[in-house]
Amino acid sequence: MFSKVLIANRGEIACRIAATLREMAIRSVAVCSEADRGALHTRVADEVVTIGPAESRASYLNVAAILEAAKRAKAEAIHPGYGFLAENAAFAEAVENAGLVFIGPSPEHVRAMGDKRAARALAESAGVPVVPGAEGGDTDGLVRAAKAMGYPVMLKAALGGGGKGMQVAHDEAQLREAIESAGRLALSAFGDAALYLEKRLERPRHVEVQVLGDGRGEAISLFERECSLQRRHQKVIEESPSPGVDDAARRALSQAAIALARRVSYRGAGTLEFLVAPGGAFYFLEMNTRIQVEHPVTERVTGLDLVRLQVEIAATGELPIAQADVVSRGHAIEARLYAEDAAHGFLPQAGTALKVRWPRDPFVRVDAGIEAGDTVPVHYDPILAKIIAQGATREEALDRLATALDETCVHGVITNLPFLKALARAGEVRAARFDTEWIEREFLAGFTAVATAPVPERALIAAALAEAMGPAASASVDGAGPEGEGEPVPDVFATVGRWRLPGLE
Amino acid sequence: MRYAFRDEDRDREVELTPLGEGRWRVVVNGAESEVAAEALGEGRFRLTDAEGEAIAEVTTAGDRRFVRLDTLEFVIDRQTRARRRGAGAGGGLEAPMPGVVTRVLVAPGETVKRGQPLMALEAMKMEHVIRAPADGTIKSVRAAAGQLVAGGVPLVEME
Repeated sequence: MFSKVLIANRGEIACRIAATLREMAIRSVAVCSEADRGALHTRVADEVVTIGPAESRASYLNVAAILEAAKRAKAEAIHPGYGFLAENAAFAEAVENAGLVFIGPSPEHVRAMGDKRAARALAESAGVPVVPGAEGGDTDGLVRAAKAMGYPVMLKAALGGGGKGMQVAHDEAQLREAIESAGRLALSAFGDAALYLEKRLERPRHVEVQVLGDGRGEAISLFERECSLQRRHQKVIEESPSPGVDDAARRALSQAAIALARRVSYRGAGTLEFLVAPGGAFYFLEMNTRIQVEHPVTERVTGLDLVRLQVEIAATGELPIAQADVVSRGHAIEARLYAEDAAHGFLPQAGTALKVRWPRDPFVRVDAGIEAGDTVPVHYDPILAKIIAQGATREEALDRLATALDETCVHGVITNLPFLKALARAGEVRAARFDTEWIEREFLAGFTAVATAPVPERALIAAALAEAMGPAASASVDGAGPEGEGEPVPDVFATVGRWRLPGLE
Repeated sequence: MRYAFRDEDRDREVELTPLGEGRWRVVVNGAESEVAAEALGEGRFRLTDAEGEAIAEVTTAGDRRFVRLDTLEFVIDRQTRARRRGAGAGGGLEAPMPGVVTRVLVAPGETVKRGQPLMALEAMKMEHVIRAPADGTIKSVRAAAGQLVAGGVPLVEME
């Protein structure tokens, strides 16, 4: 087993990884940018190395600086967390070339799964269903393909990406029209009129399967997570098991995921994302070759520590558990707390979290990247924490989540907490009647109206009383005095918060 | 004592008169009432009004007030005279969020058209462009490219 591991990440996931390393008696090395000096993830690690300026490019994405830090700290392995360099094949390769262990899959798998077409081809070769699609061909060929897969269909430039020129057709007439205009568009934008036709799934759910592989052809499933509650493809609330699939579909999803992981001899933890159509048919979307943000819900229902399993597989090349050891019990549901203003277009927020209070329920876990007094910098993903509730049933877990969110208090930085609270109590969420577009289609307008409605007079009175009663009744940390009259708005970045010496935690 | 707040685009005001022993006379929107407030420490107090009791918790962050009433959270801004003057007279364009100024596209004295981009701000991988709200002249530019600015800070002044 390793004696020292470097965590190439920040925030809640770096703290989460450090916790498991501590349990395993492995020394942890945190890295931080200059903007993150003294951040929680550096305080919970055994050592910390500053790797560069605030901008991610110069720090958390700086491969040379991270390898240098690992060398200097004499770490034997690197855990990349999620985001940043976690799915960067060149980084995985550089780690291995430096004689270190990359806690994750082989660079080849990172690369293959990062290429959507290659991943789709691999899935097909493993017999895993993919969203029906057809490439190239003339108009009649495309019309025939559309008829075979069923309307509606989506048409896009074969060489394009990012949804440019994407058109939806609900019948043959619309398709013929779309082929002509999309072909012209594709030709002018990409120099090639070739089109790609894909079945458009209406109101799909997003269900993903957690797998573990030993890198030598054996793989097991830790079952599924339901992640349909999304806003602009960003997951908000996730749970396991999925309330949207039955036992037969659950088994089929796991089998498909295992088949693909075995087919490529996948190593470590990975997640296969699927779209599930209202009828229950499922299609492979992509594979994430890293620990997921939402991994705790799987940990809650299986009782397994996914980070520990990642470390053990990386160290030994073996799966520490067999499929028969994996049992899912009860229900777990997670809400992601972000520093963003849900009432105003989800604008990211930064500042100092002056007051932070987490729920104290014994069935609630909080994976947090901040404590009271910590700075939330502008430079990175605005995730602050994840609040994960569990229960014997989905209803119980959801009740606990709603209560836990009520107990949560973060002041000093605007968060999406009101949005999460409203979701946890929404009738459709309780009834599990949602799909990946439900939040934007049916929930957001109502939420925004409520969130921007006049603040109740009672809250104004409370704010005024806090001023009138002075410091005894209001928590103030800015030292600007009660009036602050004529003072400029304090620059939150001028005060970096507490400074601590590395390693003196 | 009068306390002015900004709630979205609404000006809201509360007038408080101490009556002693933790009781206050309150005037909001012309309506008068009486409340009791008992400090509980750590920025918490018990508020008792016609609706009943609530535990209030108020945190000050610059002009911003984070108000918790039992389990409900609200965010409002304290209005000071200076702030209101600035907003009224200057036609100042403020940073919508904390971030890094990535581009400054105008200089003082320049005439601009409504909708013209003046400055770009980046935070958490999102770019926000500050545009001219109306035709006019740039009076001053208050931030430089690469500078870190807090939310609400005036970036460009127009006239």
